[in-house]
Amino acid sequence: MNIPISPINETRSKAALFDKHPHIWRAREKPISENKFLLGTRVLDEALHGGIATSGVVRIASLTGIGEITLFKQVLTTHRAHKLRVFIKPPAQLQAPWLSGLGVDLEQVIVVLPKTDQEALWAAEQCLKSAACHCVLLWNNTMNAKAARRLQVAASHNDTLCLLFTSPHQQGASFPIALDLSLHIRDAQLVVNIIKQRHGWPVSNIVIPHSWTPNNHAIQSAMQNNKKTEPTLHSVI
Amino acid sequence: MLWAYFYCYQLTLDAYKKDGGATDWEIPVVVYHEQGNQVVQANSQAIKEGIECGQGLAQAAALCPHVHILGFNRDTEKETLLFLAHRLYPLASDIVIDAHNAIAIRLDNLLQYYGGLNALWHVLISELHSAGIHYYFATAWGVEAARLLAHNKTNRYTDNKESIILLLSRCRLEQTSLDSKTIATLAKVGVRQVGQLLKLPVHELGQRFSNDTIRYLTALRGETFPKYVLFRPSEKFQRTKTLSFEVENTQHLLPSIKSLLVTLEHYLRARNLLTSSIIFRVHFREEEPLSIEVNGAMPFAAQKDWLALIELKIETLLLPEPAIAISLTCQQFEPIENDGNDFFSHRFTTVAQKQLIGRLKAKLGDASTLHPKAGNSHTFEGMTVNQVVETTPAYTADIAPAFLFQHPMPLNLATRICFGPIRLQTQWWSSAASQKDYFIAETSHGVRLLVFKDAKASWWTQGVYS
Repeated sequence: MNIPISPINETRSKAALFDKHPHIWRAREKPISENKFLLGTRVLDEALHGGIATSGVVRIASLTGIGEITLFKQVLTTHRAHKLRVFIKPPAQLQAPWLSGLGVDLEQVIVVLPKTDQEALWAAEQCLKSAACHCVLLWNNTMNAKAARRLQVAASHNDTLCLLFTSPHQQGASFPIALDLSLHIRDAQLVVNIIKQRHGWPVSNIVIPHSWTPNNHAIQSAMQNNKKTEPTLHSVI
Repeated sequence: MLWAYFYCYQLTLDAYKKDGGATDWEIPVVVYHEQGNQVVQANSQAIKEGIECGQGLAQAAALCPHVHILGFNRDTEKETLLFLAHRLYPLASDIVIDAHNAIAIRLDNLLQYYGGLNALWHVLISELHSAGIHYYFATAWGVEAARLLAHNKTNRYTDNKESIILLLSRCRLEQTSLDSKTIATLAKVGVRQVGQLLKLPVHELGQRFSNDTIRYLTALRGETFPKYVLFRPSEKFQRTKTLSFEVENTQHLLPSIKSLLVTLEHYLRARNLLTSSIIFRVHFREEEPLSIEVNGAMPFAAQKDWLALIELKIETLLLPEPAIAISLTCQQFEPIENDGNDFFSHRFTTVAQKQLIGRLKAKLGDASTLHPKAGNSHTFEGMTVNQVVETTPAYTADIAPAFLFQHPMPLNLATRICFGPIRLQTQWWSSAASQKDYFIAETSHGVRLLVFKDAKASWWTQGVYS
């Protein structure tokens, strides 16, 4: 016996199906609580609803040299300490003292230097799938949606994080990944745009104070203090 | 004494079938002996077509035009036999390799360990069966007698002396190892069966026949026991496989490589060993053999693990000419360490890490995967080394950049200095002694660079802070 299904019933049941689906998020819903890594910057962590996802691909579109890795210092150094941090096709020779200064255990660092972008993608996928890595840092400017999807699946299935660094001109295409960020410097402060995030709205112009290199402030302030204290010193003598 | 004798009458066919050649019901296959111009082995399909052993090639081809012909090679058969002996060695201690196609195993000293002949026999048979070998067999008090019975296709195992004597006496003289002249002489006096010969008193025979004949006869009777060289397994693993067709594409080598790796896995598993380095050699008709060394980041035995590495390794390999054979050598073995650390999860990641590094190196080349380490130099160029030769005092600096360029580049951007200067003087003893004043400079886009001013006051950029 066939029960006729009215069109209204059908749409309702479909709506119910979508409501239950874990991968469909509606803007009216509250952000789903999932495991997150804090970045250590309050404003940014709030905008990201508690940090970046513990697995999946995070794209960072930025110039090289504006502290784009240092932004993820806490993620790189504090979690899953016994697993590897793999740098694939870094823009230049990675420096051990800088890594030590960041707080990364050098024993857990591998640098992979593939000859082509294709090999780099292969290496990244292998690393993500190997269950040996905490985080894969990949520099690639020729990513397409299909490759990004592959990495996202490999990363999320193996509970691994992939930080994908691209040049700022690469932002155009939208990828099926966990988080899409773009960074730039304005007035000596780091500006973060969240282009796309799961379970949340895009947020633009998050300005965060950022210092990723030593500076001369210590010397300058010491000299200023010295100037102030000079007369008193003389008076003592 | 009790010896078992296994006469493997179609080793070449068995090896061919095991290597994934034609299965029995597919096409007729024969093994052809060039020197004798005769078919020496034929599979059941070929026999169905009317081919018999001993026929010439022309006759065989006339009977069955689509017959598949394999060349007979004594050395290849011997190698297959040696491999079989390696498999049997963990089960039986005294093994004699007899000619190129037979194996004799002493049973009486093993009986007490296995608890009787039946149990021992089934262990041996199941091993031979899993090796996929066809054979005729027999047991007797000595190798000579057992050989005669096996060649007579007795296919019975017994330790009953009377029944062995009965079986022996029925054998015909042609099947013994006596030379044809002796057999002809004996036939003239009406001696055609072994039973008749054994009844003759030895001292009478001794007057008419050579010492070799007498020695053979006493051995057949079980009165003397000739000395045999017992099989000793080799220290290293070496196995060659002749390809069933000439291979031009490396991908087509993979099935052969896989079968070699399976034998290696058996070998290692039986000895509780692992290996971290194996060498493949691809043989050609003209060219020198091509060596492919495969190193694992950690020792392992499983065929699956090695195959994954080799697939990556040969992906980019080009063969100079079609390959005809491939061999696998493994010389370094490592024992399996049972240190019981398996309970801790980080142990698994160590294994996974090593597997990962092995995979990356196999595909991308050895130089592609590096571990940055702090180096023994105070200059930025020498502060990071990728291979540590020895443990040296390591230098580090707060102002080291994240990335260092291969060569300094002239600074041609407008920049603002935000840190510095730091003066570094390179080692006076090195040829490129120099003095540099380092600064951290920021471009208009906010990119922070490591820049320096050299002794000639020109500005260079050398690194970047990420």
